[in-house]
Amino acid sequence: MSEPSGVIHDIGYRHYDGPRHGRAYARTALFTNSLRGAFGLGRPAKSKIMPMLLGVIMLLPATVSIAVMALLREGPLSYTGYAVTMQAVVAIFLATQAPYLVGPDQRYRVLPLLFSRPGTPTDYIVAKVAAIVGAMMIIMVLPITLMFVGEIFVNPPGPLHTGDYLRGVGGAFLFAIFLGTVGIALASLTPRRGLGVASVIAFYLITLATSTVLSGVLESLSHDTASRWTLLINPFMLVDAIQVWIFGSRPALGIDYPSGAGGPVALLAVLLLIGAALAILVNRYRKAASS
Amino acid sequence: MSILATEGLSKRFPRVTALDQLTVNIGPGVTGLVGANGAGKSTLIKILLGLLRPTSGRATVLGLDIASQGEEIRRVVGYMPEHDCLPPDVSATELVVHLARLSGLPRTAARERAADTLRHVGLHEERYRPIGGYSTGMRQRVKLAQALVHDPRLVFLDEPTNGLDPAGRDDMLRLIRRIGTEFGISVLVTSHLLGELERTCDHVIVIDAGRLLRSSGIDDFTQGTHTVSVEVEEGQAEFAEALTRAGQRVEADGRLLVIKVVDDSTYDAVRDIASDLDLGLIRLEQRRGRIEDVFRERDHAQGGAERV
Repeated sequence: MSEPSGVIHDIGYRHYDGPRHGRAYARTALFTNSLRGAFGLGRPAKSKIMPMLLGVIMLLPATVSIAVMALLREGPLSYTGYAVTMQAVVAIFLATQAPYLVGPDQRYRVLPLLFSRPGTPTDYIVAKVAAIVGAMMIIMVLPITLMFVGEIFVNPPGPLHTGDYLRGVGGAFLFAIFLGTVGIALASLTPRRGLGVASVIAFYLITLATSTVLSGVLESLSHDTASRWTLLINPFMLVDAIQVWIFGSRPALGIDYPSGAGGPVALLAVLLLIGAALAILVNRYRKAASS
Repeated sequence: MSILATEGLSKRFPRVTALDQLTVNIGPGVTGLVGANGAGKSTLIKILLGLLRPTSGRATVLGLDIASQGEEIRRVVGYMPEHDCLPPDVSATELVVHLARLSGLPRTAARERAADTLRHVGLHEERYRPIGGYSTGMRQRVKLAQALVHDPRLVFLDEPTNGLDPAGRDDMLRLIRRIGTEFGISVLVTSHLLGELERTCDHVIVIDAGRLLRSSGIDDFTQGTHTVSVEVEEGQAEFAEALTRAGQRVEADGRLLVIKVVDDSTYDAVRDIASDLDLGLIRLEQRRGRIEDVFRERDHAQGGAERV
């Protein structure tokens, strides 16, 4: 029997027998979704304001530097020092976006929908950490890349800073992985957005203040070595000390870090803190999966 | 064929025993899991999804072992949680597509399946709006859609009628029935309301304090409790007395006398005694037993035991 054409049929329920990917695919999907979310993509318009604004602010010094190179024929800003100079903006980006990545899933109890699928809590943590690290990388690497492209085209006097630029990218990765992991662990401790933002900001401000005050006081008392060590309490300086040690770049603020043991100790501290942050995350989501 | 089977499954928390030596075997179709709040229904689902480790005992879901094959189970099973679990600032479509991808569906398939599934649960144009503005009924539908989007072979629905008004409840129950029949997906649905499972389920499991109270087909459930209810103009007391003397089990229920049907002789006794006492019959009605009666009987039995 032939059916008349042009009629819409309710074809009923259809089974799916196409491919079903594994955990790696699901992890990537969660990562992409979270990374986009960190910049407000796929979220309401007002969620885009903060990350986009911070992104633009991050680009400002690079743009100015290109202008300076072109007009005054001077060299670019320090590639390795860029993130340290802009640390307040980077910290605000982390503080506002890390809670978004992990907060709503807890606040609106979405986790059971995720953990009743093949992916495990570990997959969730990997995807979320990768997303915040990726977002931090973008926010830090984009300006220095722009500046480097500018330097290539403007071609100011002196050699091209290719090495510096690459060291800057490597440094940005160190910053991103350390700050991102710690930030997301702090944010995961509370389902509430405000508290999440506050705890990341507080972590940054307290370490910044402690480091600045202690190093200032110790310096005025002429305890120079001790003063240099206390600089490392600031997480940005801690990472900068590692890049100075590993990449041989100049200290971002022109103040030397403790020589000799300084670099290795800073690296050890960073690794320990990343370990602690991951332990917090694993503990948090193991519990969440079974509750 | 066994869809899921448990053997001596126990889960003890520091303060409470959620499951106590539970052994059940469930076949395809729609199975109701009934119990009061805190009877261990949600704990059982968590264990069956491989998310919670049982204290002792074993279980398989679709032939997969919960202890070692949790990931495989979660690939072919859908889960609708009891509580609210939807983020308000995304649309139903976005959420369901995203969750379909987390179940391993490629992007295009995820989109198609999400649109299909949302249509099947009855969400149309509103699926593009943020979930924050949805009614409870619409939220329940989204929760159901995400459990079905990856075309599972079995779905666990935890209290799907919670918070719905009578019309919404009927819609949801009809939908669950369709999932079990038309869609060909086995369903384990929990409820603390027995009545609503009668129309929906093929099989009912009753648990109380983590223990199995009863597991049987819906027909067995209601057949054993056939009753006939009689309303007479006056002389209800004498009628009841005479019936009891004749060996019938009689209970007064307001203006009604409810008589348990043992076999056809029960009907004869009702007819003969009513005629002998010359009573004016107002109503004579055969009642198919309701699942509640199973509980009522049990309560009576317990009450009796206590009195003795």
